[in-house]
Amino acid sequence: MARYTCRRILTGLLSLFVLITVTFFLVRIIPGSPFQRGGVSEQVVEAVEQEYGLDKPLLTQYLSYMGEVLHGNLGISYQDPSVRVTEIIGRAWPITASVGLTALAASLILGTGFGVLSAVSDRRGVKHVLSAGGMVAAGIPGFAAAILLMLVFSVKLKLLPASGLLSPIHYILPVAALSLYPAAMVSRLVSSTLETELTKDYVLFARAKGLGRRQVIFTHALKNAYLPVINYIGPASASLLTGSFVVESIFTIPGLGREFVGSITNRDYTLILGLTVFMGAVVILVNLITDLLCAWLDPKTRRAYREERA
Amino acid sequence: MRKRIRQQWKTYMGGSRMAAAGCIVLAVWILLAVMVPLVSPWSYSAQDAQIRNQGASLLHWFGTDRFGRDLFTRVWYGAGISLRVGILSALLNGCIGVLYGAVSGYAGRRADQVLMRIADILSAIPSMLYVILITLVLGAGVGSMILGLCIAGWIGMARMVRGEVLRLKEMEYAYAARMEGICPLRILLRHLLPNAAGPIIVNLIFLVPQAIFTEAFLSFLGVGIAAPEASLGTIIQEARSQMMLYPYQMLFPLLVLCVMLLALNMAGTAAERQAGGQAPAAGGREEG
Amino acid sequence: MNVLEVRNLSVQYPGAQGAPDIVNNISFTVEKGSITGLVGESGSGKSTAMLAVMGLLGARASVRHDGITVSGSAPVPGKNVAMIFQDSLSCLNPSVKIGRQVRETVRARTGCTRKEAAARAVQLLEMVGIRNPALRMRQYPFELSGGMRQRVVLAIALACEPELIIADEPTTALDAVVQAQILQLLRRIVRETGTALLLVSHDMGVTAAMCRDVYVMRAGEIIESGTAEDIFYHPCEAYTKQLLKDAKGGRLRVGEAKSGDEGPAGEEALLRLEHVTKIFDEREGIRDISLEIRRGEILALVGESGSGKTTAARILTGMLREDAGELYHNGQVLKRGRRMDSFQGTVQMVFQDPYASLNPCLTVRRALLEALDGSERLRGLSGQEKEERIREILTLTGLPQEAADRYPRAFSGGQRQRIGIARALVTEPDVLVCDEAISSLDATTREQILELIFRIQRKIGFACLFISHDMYVVRRISDRIAVMYGGHIVETGKTKQVCKDPWHPYTRLLLSAVPEPDPIRASRMKSGPARESAGNPGACTDARCPFADRCGYALECCGKEAPGQYRFGDREVSCFLYSEEHSGRRGSTYRMTSQI
Repeated sequence: MARYTCRRILTGLLSLFVLITVTFFLVRIIPGSPFQRGGVSEQVVEAVEQEYGLDKPLLTQYLSYMGEVLHGNLGISYQDPSVRVTEIIGRAWPITASVGLTALAASLILGTGFGVLSAVSDRRGVKHVLSAGGMVAAGIPGFAAAILLMLVFSVKLKLLPASGLLSPIHYILPVAALSLYPAAMVSRLVSSTLETELTKDYVLFARAKGLGRRQVIFTHALKNAYLPVINYIGPASASLLTGSFVVESIFTIPGLGREFVGSITNRDYTLILGLTVFMGAVVILVNLITDLLCAWLDPKTRRAYREERA
Repeated sequence: MRKRIRQQWKTYMGGSRMAAAGCIVLAVWILLAVMVPLVSPWSYSAQDAQIRNQGASLLHWFGTDRFGRDLFTRVWYGAGISLRVGILSALLNGCIGVLYGAVSGYAGRRADQVLMRIADILSAIPSMLYVILITLVLGAGVGSMILGLCIAGWIGMARMVRGEVLRLKEMEYAYAARMEGICPLRILLRHLLPNAAGPIIVNLIFLVPQAIFTEAFLSFLGVGIAAPEASLGTIIQEARSQMMLYPYQMLFPLLVLCVMLLALNMAGTAAERQAGGQAPAAGGREEG
Repeated sequence: MNVLEVRNLSVQYPGAQGAPDIVNNISFTVEKGSITGLVGESGSGKSTAMLAVMGLLGARASVRHDGITVSGSAPVPGKNVAMIFQDSLSCLNPSVKIGRQVRETVRARTGCTRKEAAARAVQLLEMVGIRNPALRMRQYPFELSGGMRQRVVLAIALACEPELIIADEPTTALDAVVQAQILQLLRRIVRETGTALLLVSHDMGVTAAMCRDVYVMRAGEIIESGTAEDIFYHPCEAYTKQLLKDAKGGRLRVGEAKSGDEGPAGEEALLRLEHVTKIFDEREGIRDISLEIRRGEILALVGESGSGKTTAARILTGMLREDAGELYHNGQVLKRGRRMDSFQGTVQMVFQDPYASLNPCLTVRRALLEALDGSERLRGLSGQEKEERIREILTLTGLPQEAADRYPRAFSGGQRQRIGIARALVTEPDVLVCDEAISSLDATTREQILELIFRIQRKIGFACLFISHDMYVVRRISDRIAVMYGGHIVETGKTKQVCKDPWHPYTRLLLSAVPEPDPIRASRMKSGPARESAGNPGACTDARCPFADRCGYALECCGKEAPGQYRFGDREVSCFLYSEEHSGRRGSTYRMTSQI
């Protein structure tokens, strides 16, 4: 397991390196200069480009950018040269993360609850309602859900605020829009794996040895049913943590997603690059943690790890 | 022939009502998307300052937008574009994914490692970036949108096919085929891929709503399909500035989009159940 | 006095309208402190009936009865009845430690504190013969051997302090030697605790060895009951007689005029393995194996699961690559890694699982055509010749001609295995490898397939490597036999000689562990020395005899170095008892005899 961990970390770093390289050149392929705008003369553009070192050969630019990245510096925003990209990330990410984590918690709690209910319920009606609800929730795209929620609760009923992130009440709509899909997926995974687990012999044996139904479900079956959920929730939490472009721009939340959309409309290349690198790093890190967690939760690999150490 | 079709339907979709409902809705949607722009007296793009922002009426079933364009025609025209983008890019992604995954899984070892790492990196970059790049190079339009979706859209399919091939490769009949001296390519095509047909079809069906969704949200954010062409995402985006005043302009295209995605998801779920739930969901959706 | 009384029990699964009852109106009793047997083929409704008695069928089935009582009161699982199942791996929760699984049972029964429960768990595990229970309690189910897991399951059942234990095929998944140990343990538990035991089994041998009273079940009904002596010596029903006949096994060689018991085996080695080693980890793998398959013979490779039989077969066929050693085909060395190609389809295999060995997407005809197309030697065949061949092979394997156009899913397990054999034989291979080819089938089908393989082999004369864990099957079909233990071949020789007069202690143990369907002889059945090896059986290291831990004859040197192969005419044995140091120097005329 230690070797596995090392290998995974190394491949993670390698992926990050390739990611930076690929994104760097992708962004540079974009024709035109980031400073070309109406009313700006050729000379000014050239002067600014020179100032930022954009007139040098591409390779030199790449090497100097890599050097900067190694020092934890992602450059300065072209749009607003007084701000560094790392500052923007430092400002926007806590906001995104707080919404994302709330949504993650909400989808885990709701998903598990509904999933267990659907798996153990004897009434067919309950199952039907839950599975239909799950399908609707999983089928409606996040931005459609966000708009619908906004239309209903803010525009029509005027119950909840439509934008900003000032008080806990402001969290309700974006979190609901964000957690709809993951909650549906978690519920589906829990209910289908739990249903399979419940037909297994160890459940029957646990009943035969006199354990109650509740005890069998919660202490035995759910434990084995949760592995695929973790496998799913890893990548899902990565996308929640890097912020949703749409939900953030609909509810005007000043998070990473909104910054990204803004940087794209402004053609702010350092910011695009910096945000992509940061998001890629988060995705790679979260996937790494998920893989390790899954390996750790499986007694077989854990035992192999112990033996290796001994 | 008819019997064959019915048999295939049974094999992959089962006899469920959900599959039937999904497919009927889908058929109606396709029919409307094809017919409405053809027979409607209104054009999807001609502007008319006289009839701006009208509500739903007998003349304009969904009302008109702020340029006085008939929304009914426009919504179904947009639905057609969305469907075209979804289906074409799903087919392309399906082909790439199956090939890539099959090669990766069958080759195994080093080649597999390298190929999967490449896929990981491609999927780590937001697909928005690809689409923007391509629209900047080739110009905005349906073609560049499809191309943009195809850069990273096949990865879920490739991962699934790779897993299936890895599993099936260890089946006893695969060993038997190798022992009979059959060449690897034929084993892959004859013995392994047909047995993965169930999950592949399920994944393919799910690729369509995924692509439609991605297209819609990219158009909604203003990258992708641009005027005069319009997809559902574009129409929703246009209505956004007047959302507080004329919410219905947003509601109609939104509902058409949601029902379309739901129908596709229903078909996919039915196929998934038929395939015995062995098909993993097509991976987490990117940037919901 | 009766512990369990079941009157007129019927079970039906709803949904299937008008379907016959799975269990139809059965009544039976179990006497206090005795072992009662319920015997019948798989699918006869035994397990369903037992679950109905336990009240564990839930809402899936409708259960009707005129009374099920355990000592006068209703059965409560985990209180007055407990049940153990066939597959000990699947009935222990894979992600929960053994200790907790035992403790929670104790606590559910007695409601005592954690500490008391832990102490009681240790006590219980010791009672079922597990050494070092404190260590075992910290382990997960997959870390224990099959026999040990079944002991744990029994300990959990005992934790319920039940008046009756229902054991549903408790030893079916185990190897013969371990089965004998578990059966002995069950007998001891009944004697010591006074718990009654209801033993459900498809195995007439196990039933004969254990039970005082026997019920015979068929298609949901009890068709015959009585004491074991009655059932086994004076069966009334034709079905019972048939079961007994299948269990004893007809002589395969009847009707063969040629050269008595000796097959048409030549002396020429067709395939030879020399000093082949393949190591997965300390426990798994094969070490330094030498073996030859001669033209036209059936060579049996026998040993318990994990002894390396399948690994050997896979190396032989080229599915696995060996770490060291050489392989010869017709006297020529085969290159490592390219083996499957160089065979050109002359080595074929029949697999264990008939459900996984046929491609579900190909009809039988297409599958056979694939095999013909793949074979290098048969490339020149015309379409008509191929059709002809397919027709022939279908007839030979006893399949109807219409079968050719159907998909594998249309066939039962036995028929699929016939198709598997047809697929393997259609290219006329020199060597056929049967890897546990009949062990997943039930008794009657097993007999048929066994006979089929034997008949075709004698007719065509290909060499056959027959791999099985079942000594009883092996001794009937093979010409020569090779016994494997812990990754080594411990004994080889003519089947007749080896079975009549086993030389290696393990061979002897293996032969004596097979329960015979005869109560009087079975009651004399000696189980092997009840020593349990420390880890999984067959920890194969190079530095010692693999069997030393379990051997009743172990010498001092057995634990220190590995015995060589000692050759005496046609027999080879790997045991220090036959070394020169032990048995003394002997002249060329010396005839070795069994040392045990």
